[in-house]
Amino acid sequence: MQRSKKVVILGHFGVGKTSLIRRFVTNQFSDQYKVTIGVHISKKVVTLSAEESISMILWDLEGTDSLDQVRDAYLLGTHGVIFVFDVTRPSTFQQLNSDLKIVSKKLPERPLLVVGNKKDLVSEKDLNELLLSHNISHDFLTSAKTGDTVEDVFLNLATLLNTDA
Amino acid sequence: MLDHYKQDYNKQRQQFVLIDQLGLVLEYTGILLPIKKGQNLKELHPFFESLDALLAMPNPEFSFYCVHLDLGTEDLIADIDMVRKKEGMLLVIHDLTEHYNSYQAVAQARNESIINEELIVLKNTELEERERFKNLFIQNFSHELRNPLMSSMAITQILSDTSLSSEQEQLLEVLRDSNTHLKLLLEDTLSISMIASGKLVMKNTLFNLHKMLDLLSFTYKTKAKAKGLQFTYKAAKQVPEYVEGDRLRLYQVLTNLLDNALKYTVKGSVSLTVGFNQQWANKVHLHFEVTDSGPGIPEDKQPTIFETFSQLASPDKQQGTGLGLALVKGLLALMDSTIVLHSATGKGSTFSFDLGLKVPLQSAMQQQIDIGSAATSRKMGSPGRKYKLLLVEDDERVLTVLFKMLMDSDQFYIDVLTDGGEVLETVIQNEYDLILMDINLPNTRGDHITRIIRDFPFKNVKQLPIIGMTAYAYEDHMQAYKEAGMNTVLAKPFDKEELLQNIFMLLHS
Ligand SMILES: Nc1nc2c(ncn2[C@@H]2O[C@H](COP(=O)(O)OP(=O)(O)OP(=O)(O)O)[C@@H](O)[C@H]2O)c(=O)[nH]1
Ligand SMILES: [Mg+2]
Repeated sequence: MQRSKKVVILGHFGVGKTSLIRRFVTNQFSDQYKVTIGVHISKKVVTLSAEESISMILWDLEGTDSLDQVRDAYLLGTHGVIFVFDVTRPSTFQQLNSDLKIVSKKLPERPLLVVGNKKDLVSEKDLNELLLSHNISHDFLTSAKTGDTVEDVFLNLATLLNTDA
Repeated sequence: MLDHYKQDYNKQRQQFVLIDQLGLVLEYTGILLPIKKGQNLKELHPFFESLDALLAMPNPEFSFYCVHLDLGTEDLIADIDMVRKKEGMLLVIHDLTEHYNSYQAVAQARNESIINEELIVLKNTELEERERFKNLFIQNFSHELRNPLMSSMAITQILSDTSLSSEQEQLLEVLRDSNTHLKLLLEDTLSISMIASGKLVMKNTLFNLHKMLDLLSFTYKTKAKAKGLQFTYKAAKQVPEYVEGDRLRLYQVLTNLLDNALKYTVKGSVSLTVGFNQQWANKVHLHFEVTDSGPGIPEDKQPTIFETFSQLASPDKQQGTGLGLALVKGLLALMDSTIVLHSATGKGSTFSFDLGLKVPLQSAMQQQIDIGSAATSRKMGSPGRKYKLLLVEDDERVLTVLFKMLMDSDQFYIDVLTDGGEVLETVIQNEYDLILMDINLPNTRGDHITRIIRDFPFKNVKQLPIIGMTAYAYEDHMQAYKEAGMNTVLAKPFDKEELLQNIFMLLHS
């Protein structure tokens, strides 16, 4: 049986939302930054087991300075959320906790994964120090550029959405 | 007629689609999306796959702005309104591709510039942090070198007072030169890093410029002669005798330039010229110039020679780190001046700078000069009476050296303590004339002990002259030690003469 699940990708601009989706859906990456305005929607079917697959409808939203600015209509009917920040730019994770609060207020009880992207740009040691010093709890650290851990994020969310029924 | 135009116009830009509960197209107008009656919209674009959830919601209306409905061929960016009707849902699709594309360009520029700015700030903070760390490291490192250098200098001095064979004398001379060179390097390194971290401040005092220039001229005439070079010194007659400025730093600038000139010149001459530009109110503007007939500096090398640790490749591998010119540049910047270089390969070099110095009022000047000469006249000790000194120092090597320096003068009885904790008791039980004390002592600190001594009720203890000694010669530290009550603080390394001068200055005042 295949079901559709709507997933929104949120986060400040330039953190790599579009790149993560692109890597996951078409396994491509570009160094060029093309700012997303409004929303791009793409889709990927994820096979979970021999009988089960999920059609993930990925809503790639435009980046905002604050999550308050996200248009509510975009969030209607959302099943799961991926919040992305950029490990090289503190401004994208400095208010992580208040950002996540807004998310869970707008989309209560939906599975939510927190992803730190662009890990290819910092050393593991610096990265750990950084996350520790800013008191950041994340679920995944990824690189859309190298593809590192990108699939894990989406597959993990797919599993959560599947058990969520 | 107009109705017809309107229809045509709208057809291009708007589409109405009526769908049923399952998402099947019931009716439609317009040509924006290539749809057919009975078609399931979900198959057209994933945007419509999320419709199911909306159909189940109670709201009568939704609006989605700026949805990209790329269908392979042309990009379509649309606003989509949805209105619940009794047959199902009415979708109104507005083509706003052009509008949104121009908006995209604006957003692109805005986001890029914000991100760039952010990354530049981050980069700068990182560079500053690195620079700060580097300077701190250099400062600490040069301080660490002071104690061993101090021993080396002092032992050289002690050895030279013993009877030596002429070969040993020569070796000792080399050792003394190396010590001096090392001390100079240490001071330069420290100065440069202090300038870089903003810790070096100019100390303006009244001084005799003529005397300083005469001293320089004498010193470099001798040095030049030893190298078989000519040395000429010229000063305009309007150069005032007394000026206000940082004598030490100006001296440092000129010696560095002159040393540099001597170092690279093998044949010919080196000259120092001081010109007079103008005098305005109480400020005189002078022009300093150091010229040599050395190999000259190729044009492409000129911009970099004032950078730290750059040095021209010289065929005979002159010793040195090239710190001198970097220091000159830094010091002059602190004096609001700039070094200027004129040079060409084979034509020698001229380093010059303009400097504004205050010329003091006549009366204030006289007063300061009086104080100065009084201090120098009672410099050295008088024969006969011996003084009782308490020496507090925990570093054994430094201790040996100091002990020897003091004993040699044959003017002191010396008690030695290596533990700061015993100082107070010893001071109360004995009548000392002066305490010579290291700042960093085991268990306690010299400046703390000084504070306690200054609070004593007995006059003879309370007013005891105290000389501090430290390897951490930061201006602000020195100041703090003096505020704690130390009469003088000596920065290691110092030599015998400096030590004795300071001791007698205090004993005789
Ligand atoms: N080195 C590196 N660069 C990345 C990575 N992910 C994205 N980028 C770059 O970061 C820039 C922004 O990426 P996007 O995917 O467009 O970011 P976004 O979050 O979609 O940005 P908005 O659409 O403006 O919200 C692009 O230049 C990407 O090439 C990554 O993992 N590593
Ligand atoms: Mg994007």
